[in-house]
Order: sequence, then C-alpha cells, then structure tokens
Amino acid sequence: MLEISGLHAGYGTSMVLHGVSMTIPRGTVTALMGRNGMGKTTLCRTLMGLVAPASGSIRHDEAEIAGLPPHRVAARGIAYVPQGRGIFERFTVQENLELGVAPWGGRVPAHVYRWFPLLADMRRRTAGTLSGGEQQTLALARALAANPTTLILDEPSEGLQPSLVEEMATLLLRIVGERRMTLFLVEQNLALVRRTATIVAFLVDGVIAGGAAARELAANSPLIHRHLGL
Amino acid sequence: MDAIIPWAPLVLDALSAVLLLALVALGLVVIFGLMGVINLAHGELFMLGAYAVVVATGAGVPFWIAVAIAAVLVGIFGWLVSLVLIERLSARPLDTILATWGLAIAVRQGVVLAFGPGFRSVEKPTDASLSWGGITYPEYRLQVMAIAAVVLVLMMLLFARTRFGLAARAAIARPDMAAALGVDVKRVWRRSFFLGAALAGLAGALWAPLISVEPNMGLGFLVRAFLSILVGGSASLGGVLVGTGIVGGANSVLAQWLSGLSAQIVIFLIAIVAIRLRPTGVVRSQ
Repeated sequence: MLEISGLHAGYGTSMVLHGVSMTIPRGTVTALMGRNGMGKTTLCRTLMGLVAPASGSIRHDEAEIAGLPPHRVAARGIAYVPQGRGIFERFTVQENLELGVAPWGGRVPAHVYRWFPLLADMRRRTAGTLSGGEQQTLALARALAANPTTLILDEPSEGLQPSLVEEMATLLLRIVGERRMTLFLVEQNLALVRRTATIVAFLVDGVIAGGAAARELAANSPLIHRHLGL
Repeated sequence: MDAIIPWAPLVLDALSAVLLLALVALGLVVIFGLMGVINLAHGELFMLGAYAVVVATGAGVPFWIAVAIAAVLVGIFGWLVSLVLIERLSARPLDTILATWGLAIAVRQGVVLAFGPGFRSVEKPTDASLSWGGITYPEYRLQVMAIAAVVLVLMMLLFARTRFGLAARAAIARPDMAAALGVDVKRVWRRSFFLGAALAGLAGALWAPLISVEPNMGLGFLVRAFLSILVGGSASLGGVLVGTGIVGGANSVLAQWLSGLSAQIVIFLIAIVAIRLRPTGVVRSQ
C-alpha cells in the first residue's frame, strides 16, 4: 500500500507536483492518467527516490519513504519500470535480469521465466538487439525479479502494437493475482487501464484532479474528455 | 638472431614501463568512467604509494609486504577522498577538477613537510638477473611486469565477471536506473575510488626501487596517463592498454636516444596526431 499526501516535488526551483495526495491500496491495480507534462513521470521518480520531494509524505506499508535514496526504496520491495524502459542495451539479457534480482547477488527466480518464457531462450543476447516489445518484456521481468510487493510502471504500453498491449494486460493481471502485488500503472492507453485497473486517478498540473472506477470509464466519458482531451 | 639480442632489454624496459603506466591509467579511467571525475591528484596517489614503501621498508617490513601495505593504504586514502571530498561535489562535476587539483597540492606539500623535498630511495628486493637465450635482464623488473600483468587481468575479470563489476557498469551506463534497481551508487563510487587509488599506489610502490622517490615524481606519470587515455580512448580496458602502449612505449624507447625534453615533445606530437585522426580514441566504443 502506498499513501501519498501533500507531495510537492520538482527540479531545482521549478515545482512540478503541487501537493499530490492519493492512496494505492494493497493488492490492487491503481492507474494514473493525465496528459503529457502534467507530472506523471515526476511523481514516479519522486516515489522511487530519484527526485527528492520538497515536502509531503510517502508511506509504504506504514513506513515513511519520502526522501530515502533510490536503493533504499528498492530494498523496501518497490520496483520501477521507467518510461523508455531503462534497459542496459549493451548488457546481456541475463545481466539485466541479475541486476533486477539484487545488485549484490542472487539468482533469477524461476517464476520470472514462467511468466516470460521468451526470455529464457534469449539470456545470452545483447539487450539492445531485442525488439521494442521484447525490451518492454525484459524491463518488466527485471522489475519482477526482485519479488517486489509494489510495482510502478510508467507508460508500459508506449510504442507497443495493440495486440501486445492486450497480451501485457493479461500477463499483468495474472502476475498481480499470483503475487498479490500492488501495481501503480501510469498510462495514457485507455484500453490497458480499463482491462487492468480498479481505480483511475487523473493528474492535472501537478495535483490529483479526480478519480473514478475504471469500469465506469467509457471512451466518451466526460472525465476522459476533460483530463485526456480524447 | 644475434641482431635482436641488444634490442631485447630495450623492449622489456618499454614493456615494464607500459604495464606500470597501464595500472595508473586504468585507475584514472575507473574513477572517470564511474564518477565523471578527472582526478588530478592521481599522480600524488602514485607518489604516496612510493613513499609508503620507503617508510615501511625503512621500518624493517619486507619489501613485498610493504608493496601490499602501500597499495591498501593508498586505496583507503582514495576511499576517504571519495567520502569526504568527491561525493559532496557530485552535483558539480567541474568543481571536482579544482578539488582534486587542490588535493594534489596539499598532498605534495604534506609530503615535503613530512619527508623534506629531497630524494629518497628504496632497495630492490633482489639484484639478481635472469639470463635466457643470451639475454640478461634484472629479475626485479620481470617480477614487476608479472605482477602488473596479473593485476590488469584481475581488474578485467572483476569488471566483466563479478557482481560488483556488473553493478559498477550499470552505474556507469544508467546511474538512475541502477539506483532504482537497488545499486547503492555512492558505495560503488567509494569502492571504485579505492580501487583506482590502490592501483596508482601499487604502481608507485613497484616503481619506487627503480627511480628516485621525491614529492613531484607523480606529475610525469599523471601527464602520460592522461595522454594514454586521450590516445587510446576511455571506453574499455583495451583502449587503455593500446594508449599506454603507444605513449609509454614511445616514451621509454625515445628516452634511449633523445633528451628527456625532446622525448616529451615527440610524445606530445604523437598524441596530437592520434587525437586529430581518432578524436574518440584509437580503440572506439560501439
């Protein structure tokens, strides 16, 4: 469970988040939607400790994590797939996965290869030679290799064809169900959000501007109109 | 066959100089690659390694143990420099150049205060020479070459094969992503600074019996190490070896015929031509 309250953060003197408050209940898929430039990625990076918050609180399973350095956030069971995937292109697939397990040791858990059987045959390949969809799979597998309790995905559908997005939705639901994981999904793809999320929140100009049950979000809903301009 | 024999010691001299220079340059590259810090105090770390051997052997410590102590002590000094100085400037990489330059001056003057400006010398552990196929060569220089070669291979394996190496390479490629995956990037920095400093200290310690130990002895090595990296490229160990091979080899061979100054001029000319033709280094990264 993640409880964010009154979170202000940004770069230097220019603030991007102006008091974000939201709760991501344990074991649920909570989506965050919003147009480009509203602060979605900054929120992810602040949760992960990559951007230091100016004020506010982030509680993860009752413990305050705001202001912790990223490796300490990761050690608390929070994994992150950034926008653009953050793959180490010049490393092998195996090396990318090993970095996910734990930076100082450990084996890639067998269930990762069960979820992503494709990767088992690619272990020795250089990650940069993988297709976009394969790289997204690798980024997801790497995040899951650490057995996180909470997973933050920043635009995982970016650059994927619709059939792959559908596949990803099925896989995410299966993994979240199997591991009882908390998933924070930052997305602009309405199809993926409606297939996976329970609750959707909208981020507008650095504050949460509203929320809705994902089921109720039709493509022509006024909320979508207002916050995504679709 | 006879004709090559007079050349052999010259080639071996050049090779030992190249291997030692590679230790110094590799330390610089590790620190630069990971932290983006151009360590202008690297020559002084080399010098501290030599003085550590002077002090330790003076206190009766056997030579080879003194060399090991020197490498570890200089490594610890580097670790402290990273903790106290470099990490506090991590948001201002350019200022680390000034900071390490200032550190270099402070260390040099500290050594002058402690030991005086004069020359010191260290006894070689052995004066024996080995003869093979008509070539006679000092045993100590062969030992130095063997140690340097083994350490270079170990460093390569450390970065290519171990978890530390993987974490360090990840921290170079994408520091933010590495941190988000749980790599304590600052701890990697400190360990790398330890390694880089220990390599310089080891080189200084091994070289101490072959030259005069004095407070400014690191300067020439720093310049040649930087030229090696510029010529060879900083992207890989291969680049470092090629660069040191060109710069260190030329220096050592030219010094046979030319005065020190002329040799320096020729090396700078070689470096300028190499950098002009291959701006990213002779060995290019992919």
